[in-house]
Amino acid sequence: MTGADMVLEALEREGVEIIFGYPGGANLPIYQRLPAHPKLRHILVRHEQGAAHMADGYARATGRPGIVFATSGPGALNLVTGLCTAFMDSVPMIAITGQVPTAVVGRDAFQESDVIGCTQSVTKHSYLVTKVADIPRVISEAFHIAATGRPGPVLIDICRDVQQAEGGEFEYSYCSVLPGYKPALEPDPVQVERAAEMLAGARRPVILAGHGVILSHAEQELLEVAERSGTPVGTTLLGVGAFPVQHPLALHMTGFMGTGWNIKAVQNADLLMMVGMRVDDRVTAKLSEWAPKAESFVHIDIDASEMGKNVRPHLEVVADAKRALKAMASQVKPPPADRGEWLTQIDAWREEHPLKYSRSNGHLQPQDVLIDMYRRCKDDAIVVADVGQNQIWAALWWNYTKPGLFINSGGSGTMGFAFPAALGAKFGRPDKDVWCVAGEGGFVMTAQELSVAVEHQVPVKIVLLNNFSLGMVRQFQDDFYGGVRSEVDLTVMPDFVKLAEAYGLKARRVDKYEEIKPAFDEAQATPGPFLIDFRIDPEANVYPIVPLGKGLDDFWELPNGA
Amino acid sequence: MHSQLRVLRVLVEDNPGVMARVSGLIRRRGFNIQTITVGPSTEPGRSRMTLTVDAGHAEVDQVAKQLDRLIEVIEVEDITDAPTVSRELLIAKLDKVPPAVEQYGARLLAAGIVELTADSETVEDFIEFLKPFGIKELARTGPVAMRRSA
Ligand SMILES: Cc1ncc(C[n+]2csc(CCOP(=O)(O)OP(=O)(O)O)c2C)c(N)n1
Ligand SMILES: [Mg+2]
Repeated sequence: MTGADMVLEALEREGVEIIFGYPGGANLPIYQRLPAHPKLRHILVRHEQGAAHMADGYARATGRPGIVFATSGPGALNLVTGLCTAFMDSVPMIAITGQVPTAVVGRDAFQESDVIGCTQSVTKHSYLVTKVADIPRVISEAFHIAATGRPGPVLIDICRDVQQAEGGEFEYSYCSVLPGYKPALEPDPVQVERAAEMLAGARRPVILAGHGVILSHAEQELLEVAERSGTPVGTTLLGVGAFPVQHPLALHMTGFMGTGWNIKAVQNADLLMMVGMRVDDRVTAKLSEWAPKAESFVHIDIDASEMGKNVRPHLEVVADAKRALKAMASQVKPPPADRGEWLTQIDAWREEHPLKYSRSNGHLQPQDVLIDMYRRCKDDAIVVADVGQNQIWAALWWNYTKPGLFINSGGSGTMGFAFPAALGAKFGRPDKDVWCVAGEGGFVMTAQELSVAVEHQVPVKIVLLNNFSLGMVRQFQDDFYGGVRSEVDLTVMPDFVKLAEAYGLKARRVDKYEEIKPAFDEAQATPGPFLIDFRIDPEANVYPIVPLGKGLDDFWELPNGA
Repeated sequence: MHSQLRVLRVLVEDNPGVMARVSGLIRRRGFNIQTITVGPSTEPGRSRMTLTVDAGHAEVDQVAKQLDRLIEVIEVEDITDAPTVSRELLIAKLDKVPPAVEQYGARLLAAGIVELTADSETVEDFIEFLKPFGIKELARTGPVAMRRSA
């Protein structure tokens, strides 16, 4: 069997059903053999970055690794942003790139680039394959590494002559152990007991849940721990959905654009239990002013290097979130008699600092768009948001009650992520309605994938929140950089309805509140993809927000009279 | 020793590119390599590294933890605070070989070239001692280290 067939055969053995890719000189042998493997569906993207984000969206929506093909040099390098996006958010992905033939590696051959070197810091692991016999082992290891422990992208760079070489009989065994890779899964029972005790001993405890809770499907265990111990729960941006937003114990989103009542709770908590999260700077804002009243931090994460990276915990539980929370759920104690005071206080903060927006200037408000959208989707649709104001609005103005329904690029903040990722999510979950919420700036960064949506009639509905500017940057300039609006104007953009039509999909423009409903009705009634260009208030801002460099306590809310 | 300096013993797969992975990670995390030695270990296909790393602005335990995330790193041991023995090798070419280099435990290796194997502090002292005699060329390996037997 040739190396190319080995690659494709190995993917079949791993249960792969779809590949997002783009051919070129260095992966021709694989593409030559692809039609002989009809079980592998291939989606020809229009730019390799699109392939990486589609694979990412597919992986986030299904839990299975997303697969990407690209050629050497420019093809592989076009994946870098997508790999980084997946790496920062711990998403399983396998990128198989063609490399120049072994004989010319290192000689600056045509379309040669040091892909391993260029992607080292944005992959969980990578392989350069120079021997055909290594292909099955490398692919099985890649699947094991990408999908277990703290998931992440793995890159396999295969020289073209190796793809073409005869490799003898194909033998495949699934990898389950590697000497240098032993993800910690089971929690230490002593630490679990201690964590349960600490939770019981706290007067003002708060749990914060991150992406790790969603990745390990620990939402039920989290709910049990929270309810049995009477502990309020907030989530990170990537943790949105890990805890039902309308639950009486819910604190909604935390951090620098989190809700006021979440911020108040974090800043007044005497114990913080962080689960499956990195405690990064978007969560803490100014670190030295974060959670100033906390006497203890408990940190549960599968990655030991997260312990003390940003915040030194008093108790570390290095384990899979689901197993740790399950063990804890049976040990936590009912809340002490005075817990009601803490919860009442939080309710008061919720009343005092609600999420607000204003319609006073007559423009279409993004929140109205999202609220209408939520009414028709409830808890059953997947929302993939881009980056910027649109992302934060989408995170805050939907009442996510289940995990996995809100997808966005949290760690990397990659503009252009949402649309291809939404296509990937829909390919993976054809049973779910998939919506893409994007700003016009981010959307045009990967809009070429409209062709993929049309070619495969992917019924993703695109909700453009078009504010004629790089809104988030414009807001930062207005609020934190002296009001100097510099290079954020996007008034010159394509007519999005015509753009959509040029690609071959239906679209509609909305300027007024009254048009929201009929536009959504049409989008939902139309089979296949649909785009709505919502022309929203160009001055609409995200609130609350913490000024850059300040502590959470300094959060700003919607100005009075706005 | 500066409190941010860590001494690590690391066992790695002897694959092409492992050094680049280790050094790339150290750079990317804002640490800084002071010394690095690498050679075959007793296990076939595996190499033993001794690293002296400045953790920079990071928490010092991050160096070992981040290295441990690399798939090709089999084992990391932070021996900064452990009882260890540590040795490095120095060779120096001199204008004039001083008398009594043996006092330092050094020896004459070839005409005008001396060799010393000692802990890093002694090596530093020895270099100071050699300076007045004119150092033409100097090469040091950086330390290799291991724990003392219990
Ligand atoms: C690839 C990339 N470039 C730049 C940025 C910095 N950035 C963050 S938000 C933003 C504005 C996004 O504008 P738009 O897509 O229109 O969304 P809006 O904030 O207006 O909703 C920019 C430029 C980024 N996150 N990603
Ligand atoms: Mg915009």
